[in-house]
Amino acid sequence: MNDHGTALMKCSTCDTPIDECAFCEEPDCRTPICYECLNVALGQALPQPHVHGG
Amino acid sequence: MSPRAAWRLESLGFGEVYDYVAGKLDWMAAGLPTEGTNAMRPRAGEVARKDVPTCGLKEMLGSVRERVRRQGWDAVVVVNEERVVLGLLRSKELESDSDLLVEQAMRPGPSTFRTFVHIEEMAHFMVEHELESTPITTSDGRLVGLLLQMDAVSRVRPDE
Repeated sequence: MNDHGTALMKCSTCDTPIDECAFCEEPDCRTPICYECLNVALGQALPQPHVHGG
Repeated sequence: MSPRAAWRLESLGFGEVYDYVAGKLDWMAAGLPTEGTNAMRPRAGEVARKDVPTCGLKEMLGSVRERVRRQGWDAVVVVNEERVVLGLLRSKELESDSDLLVEQAMRPGPSTFRTFVHIEEMAHFMVEHELESTPITTSDGRLVGLLLQMDAVSRVRPDE
């Protein structure tokens, strides 16, 4: 969240509100991606199961 | 390898088996060798330029710019004495006022990527996001090299 408590954009993969793109860190990125989705896409992390299960 | 895999190898008769507690991703992030079909695909750590210039937080931007341009670079990675990445000066930041300290002009805490990421994924993201360069580091943040978009794209095979 930014200083005003509102996210500036949404992850283009999962729709999570984010302040800036985790890859290019530009606030006006056309294909913003969140940190979690980026790490999964690059194979730097394994996808986590949904917390609600099933 | 995982503890279960280590036990299984021992049961198969291998005598010298170790459990690498930090895990496979950490092993690969340190640039250590791997085997298997994926091991043949180029990775970010292999393509990143190891001779990228570095500088410290308290250096003057003007002298850093002069030094790195003389070496033919348009980017410099800001590191500490342990070679941990603290910031990045790309062409835009290098154009700032010569009298600024590096720490005042740099892009602090830039996104960094691990050595084991396949180059086609890095090339895809760098082109899509128009990113000219990005630091490649180990898991503990130490600089391995700077990956340039043109190098990443040139290493992607035509069928990928």
